[in-house]
Amino acid sequence: MSTKIGIYICECGPNIADNINIDEVIERISSSEDYKNKQLIIKPYKLLCSNEGKEYLEKEIKDNELTHLVIAACSPRDHEITFINICKKTKLNPYLYKMVNIREQCAWMIPDKKKATEKAISYIKAAINRVLHQSVLIEKQLDSNPNVLVIGGGITGMETALSLASKQRRVYLVEKNSILGGNAQSFKNLLPRQENNTDLVAKKITAIQENENIEVFTDSKLENAVGFFGNFEVTVKSTKKDQTANEFVVGAIVLATGFALMPTEKLKKHAYGKDDNVYTALEIEQMMKAKGKIVLKSGKEPKSVGLIHCVGREDRGYCSRICCNYMLKIISYLKDQSDTILIKDFYKDLCLPHKYDQEYFDTMAKKKVDFIRISDITTKKTHITYTEVNGSKKEADLDMIILAPAMVPAEGTEELAELLNVPLHPTKFFQEAHSQLNPIGTSLEGIYIAGGCHGPQGISESVLQAKAVQGKIVTQLIPGEKIIPEVKVSEIIPDFCMGCQTCREVCCYGAITFDPERGICVVNEAICRGCGNCVGSCPSGAIRAKHFTTIQIHQEMKEAIS
Amino acid sequence: MKKIQTKGVKISSNKDYRDSIVDILKKMLQSKSVDAVLVPMRVPAKDSYAWILVKDEKLLTEADPAAPIMPIQGARALSSFSRKGQSMLKIAALMRPCEIRATIELSKLNQVNLENVTLISYDCPGALPMEDYLNDPEKGEKKFNDILKKLDFQNKSIKPVCKICDQFSLLPVSDLHFTLFHDQNNTMFLIANSNRGNLVLKEIGMEASHTVSAWANGIQEIKDKRAAQKKGRFTQIKKMVEGFNSLLATFSDCIGCHNCQSACPICYCRQCYFDSESVTSGTDLTMLKAKKRGSISLPQNRIMFQVGRMSHMSLSCVSCGLCTDACPVSIPVAEIFSYVAHNTQKQFSYSSGENKGEPIPLKTFKLEEVKGIQELVEDAEA
Amino acid sequence: MSNSNNVLIIGAGIAGMQASLMLAKAGKKVVLVEKLPIIGGNTIKNEESFPNLECSTCMVAPVQQDVLQNDNIEVMTLSEVKAVNGQVGNFTVTINKKARYVSLTECIGCGACYEPCPVSLQNEWEENLGKKKAIYVPCDGSLPNVPAINSGHCLRLSGKKSCNACAEACMFGAINFSDKDEQVKIEVGAIIIATGFDLYGGKLLSAFGYGTLPNVYTSMEFERLYASNGPTSGELLLRKGKKLPDSVAIVHCIGRKELGYCSGVCCMYSFKYAHFIKDKLPEATVYNIYSDICVPNKSYQSFYNKIKDSNSTFIFQSAPDIVQIAGNNGKLQVKLTAGKGSKNSLNVDMVILSCALVPAKTSKELADILGIERDRKGFFQTRKGYIGTVQTSVDGIFTVGCAEGPKDIEDSVIQAESAVGEVFSLLG
Repeated sequence: MSTKIGIYICECGPNIADNINIDEVIERISSSEDYKNKQLIIKPYKLLCSNEGKEYLEKEIKDNELTHLVIAACSPRDHEITFINICKKTKLNPYLYKMVNIREQCAWMIPDKKKATEKAISYIKAAINRVLHQSVLIEKQLDSNPNVLVIGGGITGMETALSLASKQRRVYLVEKNSILGGNAQSFKNLLPRQENNTDLVAKKITAIQENENIEVFTDSKLENAVGFFGNFEVTVKSTKKDQTANEFVVGAIVLATGFALMPTEKLKKHAYGKDDNVYTALEIEQMMKAKGKIVLKSGKEPKSVGLIHCVGREDRGYCSRICCNYMLKIISYLKDQSDTILIKDFYKDLCLPHKYDQEYFDTMAKKKVDFIRISDITTKKTHITYTEVNGSKKEADLDMIILAPAMVPAEGTEELAELLNVPLHPTKFFQEAHSQLNPIGTSLEGIYIAGGCHGPQGISESVLQAKAVQGKIVTQLIPGEKIIPEVKVSEIIPDFCMGCQTCREVCCYGAITFDPERGICVVNEAICRGCGNCVGSCPSGAIRAKHFTTIQIHQEMKEAIS
Repeated sequence: MKKIQTKGVKISSNKDYRDSIVDILKKMLQSKSVDAVLVPMRVPAKDSYAWILVKDEKLLTEADPAAPIMPIQGARALSSFSRKGQSMLKIAALMRPCEIRATIELSKLNQVNLENVTLISYDCPGALPMEDYLNDPEKGEKKFNDILKKLDFQNKSIKPVCKICDQFSLLPVSDLHFTLFHDQNNTMFLIANSNRGNLVLKEIGMEASHTVSAWANGIQEIKDKRAAQKKGRFTQIKKMVEGFNSLLATFSDCIGCHNCQSACPICYCRQCYFDSESVTSGTDLTMLKAKKRGSISLPQNRIMFQVGRMSHMSLSCVSCGLCTDACPVSIPVAEIFSYVAHNTQKQFSYSSGENKGEPIPLKTFKLEEVKGIQELVEDAEA
Repeated sequence: MSNSNNVLIIGAGIAGMQASLMLAKAGKKVVLVEKLPIIGGNTIKNEESFPNLECSTCMVAPVQQDVLQNDNIEVMTLSEVKAVNGQVGNFTVTINKKARYVSLTECIGCGACYEPCPVSLQNEWEENLGKKKAIYVPCDGSLPNVPAINSGHCLRLSGKKSCNACAEACMFGAINFSDKDEQVKIEVGAIIIATGFDLYGGKLLSAFGYGTLPNVYTSMEFERLYASNGPTSGELLLRKGKKLPDSVAIVHCIGRKELGYCSGVCCMYSFKYAHFIKDKLPEATVYNIYSDICVPNKSYQSFYNKIKDSNSTFIFQSAPDIVQIAGNNGKLQVKLTAGKGSKNSLNVDMVILSCALVPAKTSKELADILGIERDRKGFFQTRKGYIGTVQTSVDGIFTVGCAEGPKDIEDSVIQAESAVGEVFSLLG
């Protein structure tokens, strides 16, 4: 079929017509030497985006059997998709079309009509040059697997699994310990404000066990995961002696591996030994759950307790969000135990971001607790040296000290990140794709994060994140629906590739793999997002970006510099 | 920080150094410590040297470690068969330090597989310029023998880029090293510098029991002198390439043959970027450029090729000098690239070929590291 | 008959828009109701949003465009929910659509109608720092890029004078003075409330001189002052006296004590302002007057550290109520209580009051219409006894974002996404 380029210039009412001499544009381009061997159809139209305009365009493409299309009109932001949709109704491949902005970029900002017209001609010629070198690109449709792998059997993982599991969607829940429940099962009372049922965890575990669409692997770890959104081949391996491995395919992976508390043994500012009456908040919770009361190592009840916030906050570089709240909970445990316990609570800043937190604090503040705002504090066993915010230096000797250490990602987070190629945030929690627009996704499509492994947070926020993951998965990975990956991806020309793997190392999506048999690199088009990082990194020029090849860009630029 | 080796194996001083080295290589073959040895050998026409992979120890008598010239970079010889995977034979490669450093850089670029490869370096006095040697090979041989006998590292006949080389001796990445710069008693040492090297010594029944501190001090003195010479020479080189006009003047002779790229061990690309469609313009673009500028020099992109090659490989450049040898119009490519490489590597605190584990900054640099470009330029200009 | 495939979202801010796109992608039909003539909510009022200081309009524009072009989302601007009947799976909702007087299909956004309009008004979207005409879009870059006419002030529509200026300027015949308010009824399976927040506007403001001392600003006013598409094109021009400030005091926690909660975002946006000020005026001195530093996200502390180390002087006050602001010969005197009760003061050119986030003023009415409970702070109440849910006291009605309680954009979007999850759990 011979090349026939259709160029349609939208008058946009007076907007373009008033400030660009469209007749001159048509005349100059039609008679241009550059296109004397090409068939050009170049026409004006009053308003292409109107319903009549769209019908007109569709008819023009079909009747003239156009092989390429250029639309000169308003901003592609407004209507590029409009005209792509029209191409899709015809035989013309939408990637053989280019839109040019002669409204915002010519008519609206150049007062001199002659100059505006010149620029418009230049723009349109650039688009014609480019479009002639564009290639047909066909969208692929891939089958997808709707099942989900959830790594981590704590509250977040269980919540995710329960919300997703259905007859059409199987959930595989992997837990490294022998029992489900995670951190939450250590707590006697739960925040917020101890309203909730302490057997929340037990109820969830029962629900999981009774759900026939959830398969649980305890004492297990993720051994390997290869693939992409809709198609991950995963291997889950038991950590017990038998090392049984299970392989299956899932469409999405959820990381719900939770948190741990920063180890306090090596902290210089809070030196203590095994036999001293210094505890972390988690140890107190566990003590409360086991014994129902808070006692010293000797078994006696403490008469004075110091609570220290922000332990490790400076070292780790972030605030752990829930400690101010859970310290209030611990104060309530102590006050319930005895009205006369002397309690000193040492804090730098009060972090009370939830709408009821301040009230919670105000209630506790009424209960004869010494809340002391400090700028600096060190402890040696149960002896406290501190500087109040007004500068005065003081000391105190108490029966017991309770520390609120920073929340850190659970052990194994880094290895998991490495295995899946999921980036880590500078604080070593998992890095979300975009903190505002995609807060529970990762840069790898199909891998999501929720709960304590995302960042320091409480149960309430973790459950919300679990549901957000559910929301993402049920709307993106629909049973029976095909996945259409990005079309404008990179491709490697095998003849020129020397397998140096520079491209693979700069790809942040894990879309490039090395084929040792052929000694070259290969782009996985299902994962590639077309960012072009690899194209720039290849010293041979062996990688091309589809729809953005150097030739296409050069041809377009040719006009700008002539 | 690698431990500085203080002991070596004392090698008999009666024989010619070459024979001594060949003896050791033979021992390595006999004890099956290695299956084959990669060494230079003089070609039948007696006017050049080639890399030969030898299994038969009898053929080794023809070998010439420390050849007077370097027509092909040893790293290129190694990569020509080990790019696609581990060598089935255990190989010992006896190469100049710059060849070994290039090998390390290539291994980071997945062009050389170092499994089963033992890297053996020796104190290199430099190499003669190819052109000079080829004019009169016998004279060249004599000259070089003289250099070795007199331990003359300030000899004016060696390549300009060798004169400013301060990495001519034992490297952190060497498995084994032969000292050629004798001490007063004309002694040569074989130093094991890695676990692999130690294993080889054991397998050939030798023990490193002699202190090498006198040699080490002597080498350090030479290095200091060379470093000073480098600094001085770079100040001169800077003038040749500083500013667009100087760059133009210096490279205007370039005929775009890409010989320098062919000879360079680091340039591994099957298709050079500057031959790819991204860079080669069609008639229309060429005419456009000509029209805009008033005239155009053909073929195009000769200087862009030079600057582009600098940007692609200067982080790995080992200043071996093969590019100058290969240049048919005698542009001092090696010294210029050495100067540029020195500064780009400094920017990232990277030294090419020094450390097997350190990735090339090209793939791993962070934005903060590049922010200092302005200061670097000012430093270089200072 | 169930309408489980239809969902109503009230409020087209970032949370509402994100939820609508997710639901639309999965084939649900969404009606997105917004009381303003444009979509985007409060986020688009920021030049940049923390913690990455990304250009907010750039970040949100693709979302806005996706929403406006999505076949499964019907956007109703200038609209409010007036009545709701029924129950989950089958709500009947009555929506009042105010007349825009400009056709959304004919108008191409050329802007020719603004100049000829003879009526000039305070632009409340710009915090009254700028003006607009009776036919207006709130700001440059508004989407949809189609004006509305304020019928109360339009000379023709209010019957004051016959005027045809805008219609004459329009080449597309997009202006329609006979447009009428209308009422529509829709049937939906679930409702998501994403009506956002208002800024504290209580009595504490006047105590700090706001309204009487010209160079005392609220946080939202400062956002618009700094915005490059704002009334001063981003120049930090003072209302009176000096052109640009040499020193600025940012007072945190305005309204915290009175309201009884911390809004969780003001510290971060205060640091953002400190950064903005130094960005435009590197020689300026900036004071952050605070009581508690609240940086509850893993990415926030590092921003605080940066501002603390190289930007502002931080001054602790046990509560902002004890700070006094008075005029002082064109400058502003900020009286502080130093340690041990003594006083000292700063003399600055500008004061920014970092105000708390309060429920949108339409909350009470909306709660009554929907029959849902509000909490003791006036925000919509999530179901009691449940942990981590956004469902209200009524089945099938959810509340997300700042409508539920003050929070940052990240948490608002997470709640919006979780609402989508809960809608699917409920309706399938």
